[in-house]
Amino acid sequence: MSYFFQLVVSGIVVGSIYALAALGFVLIYKSSKVLNIAHGQIIAAGAFIAYALTGWVGIPIYISFLLSMVITFFLAMSVERIFLRRLIGEPIISVIMVTIGLMSIIDGLIFLTPFGSVNFSFPQFLPQELISFGGVSISWTQLVGVIVTVLMIGGFSWFFKKSTVGISMRAVSDDQFASMSVGISVPRVFGLAWATAGLSAAAAGGIIGNITGLNFETLQAFGITVFPVVILGGLDSILGAVVAGIIMGVIQQFASGYLDGNWGLNGTAEVLPYIILLIILLFKPHGLFGIHEIERV
Amino acid sequence: MSTNRWLATGNYFTSYQDEQRLFFTHLDRTILTMFLLLLFVWPLLFTLSNKYMLVIDNILIAVVAIIGLNIVTGFAGLISIGHAAFVGIGAYTVASFSRTLGDSHVIITHAWPLMIVLSGLTGAVFGAIVGLPAMRLKHLYLAIATLSFQMIFTWTINFLEFFNQGQTISISRVFWFTGKLGRKDHYLFWYYVLLVVVVLSGFMVRNLLRTRYGRCLSAVRDNDRAADAMGMHPGLTKVYAFGLAGFFAGVAGALHAYVYRGVGFESFTLHHSITYLAMAIVGGLGTLNGSFWGPAAIITLELQVETLAEHAGQILPSTWNLATALKPFSFGLVIVLFLMFEPRGIANWWRIVRSYTKLWPFRY
Repeated sequence: MSYFFQLVVSGIVVGSIYALAALGFVLIYKSSKVLNIAHGQIIAAGAFIAYALTGWVGIPIYISFLLSMVITFFLAMSVERIFLRRLIGEPIISVIMVTIGLMSIIDGLIFLTPFGSVNFSFPQFLPQELISFGGVSISWTQLVGVIVTVLMIGGFSWFFKKSTVGISMRAVSDDQFASMSVGISVPRVFGLAWATAGLSAAAAGGIIGNITGLNFETLQAFGITVFPVVILGGLDSILGAVVAGIIMGVIQQFASGYLDGNWGLNGTAEVLPYIILLIILLFKPHGLFGIHEIERV
Repeated sequence: MSTNRWLATGNYFTSYQDEQRLFFTHLDRTILTMFLLLLFVWPLLFTLSNKYMLVIDNILIAVVAIIGLNIVTGFAGLISIGHAAFVGIGAYTVASFSRTLGDSHVIITHAWPLMIVLSGLTGAVFGAIVGLPAMRLKHLYLAIATLSFQMIFTWTINFLEFFNQGQTISISRVFWFTGKLGRKDHYLFWYYVLLVVVVLSGFMVRNLLRTRYGRCLSAVRDNDRAADAMGMHPGLTKVYAFGLAGFFAGVAGALHAYVYRGVGFESFTLHHSITYLAMAIVGGLGTLNGSFWGPAAIITLELQVETLAEHAGQILPSTWNLATALKPFSFGLVIVLFLMFEPRGIANWWRIVRSYTKLWPFRY
């Protein structure tokens, strides 16, 4: 039984990171209806910037995490400004293909740095010993990661519910023309959506980098696993992203805990989310919390 | 069929049938025939080293795959981020025969045209299955469905013992009427096969676009509600667009397996899917001649990048992994730049050149 709870706990840890990664993705989709396929690369970039700041420049690690979030904020904003601003009004399909191109470009840029070939890891700054109660143990890194994630998601929810900028972002996602007529600058909101997505991606990257080490493949894979998460949660729901992230994390842990090693299976955690994704697309395409008025053909 | 279209001042179509012709004038037909003849004859006139023959074979394989991708992404307007997986399905159809019957069984070495068609059909079945969500959903979701198919495909190939866990599965040289192909003639022989396949599929697609089903595709792309109102079934149209794309991809995969005499999973990864998309975009989405320009341009670019990385690698320290970095970077840059500045691709340059020469010396 404690094995079961252990899997649930580590599932929640992984899932909350999925939730944070999915949050940025949902933000961009909600405001501009663009699927950002380069999200995993932004996550990786955030983590690498944080490492470069602390490992090479020598800034204290807490400050370098914050700085990496700020840098990624402006980086994502400029990506929107340079590449996507001039595509407003173009068919959405070409905007998505631009993000595919961006994914390739950032891949190339990361391969230019040592991060593409060498695995680094953040310096240990939290206590090493495990916290355990009732047979379930969790490391400090994971615990802090979950707490930061919960705080971030709480902060973002408050931002969207209460702040003027957040409300204008929700307005744009609801109806662009109506929000223009009440004086909201739609391009600015798009830029801001990308920027906040970059910020949350950097936070997710920092947390993943602390838990698993800085491997480009792993970090980038998070960006692709975000797809099953957001589809399960409903593409345009932040609550859905959180719930689905945790569900997906727990499912993956169960898969690697119970399925692997039995019946000759191996590595099921990598493939199960995509199978679930295809099934959801066939039977419940708006996900758990998505708006039901999906445009059908 | 009458006057020289290059000298005419207008279209002068008198019926819709006129407009739908494959060749407007005898001159058009003659030029195309001469061009095709040239493609068949040039290897007899001077010989090319195997290295460059392989490059040309690669381009032609990619052309077959891109013709498929253009049906689904260009004509039907659905992004497919899993095209390499469909190509892989075709290649692994051949590979599974090789695994069960041995790599030089008669079916593989003698009945290879059958194998190619069979791979195409398998690809079509998988394409239609992945396209099934299209019955209910629009393109955003379909892009994700194809992406997840790519992930599932890669995992399955790497997992199953039957597929040698992604390691190379060998396929032996084929037989022609003159006996088993020699090492020297291998790439030349497949050049001719590929040329025939490319010409056939080019005509297939050109003809498809003249039929009800082809027009269905672009109608659904342009406005699915209007298409629905005019009695087409948008969902089914998309499913069969995926099926057709899968067919061409499967054929390309089988040809890939035969040309390389082996199948390994590393030729069918997500990166290859993105490369295929880059080819389709650079060539020009929704145009048939774009399917020829795109692969040629991208594969040439790839070669140039490789030579550049080799030269730079001699100067720079070896820790700089330039080759792996420059390839995705240049592909990404090409995709983005083309989408931003020339969304209609190289096919559009071809169109401009044609209309310029046609109207010369006048501007318009």
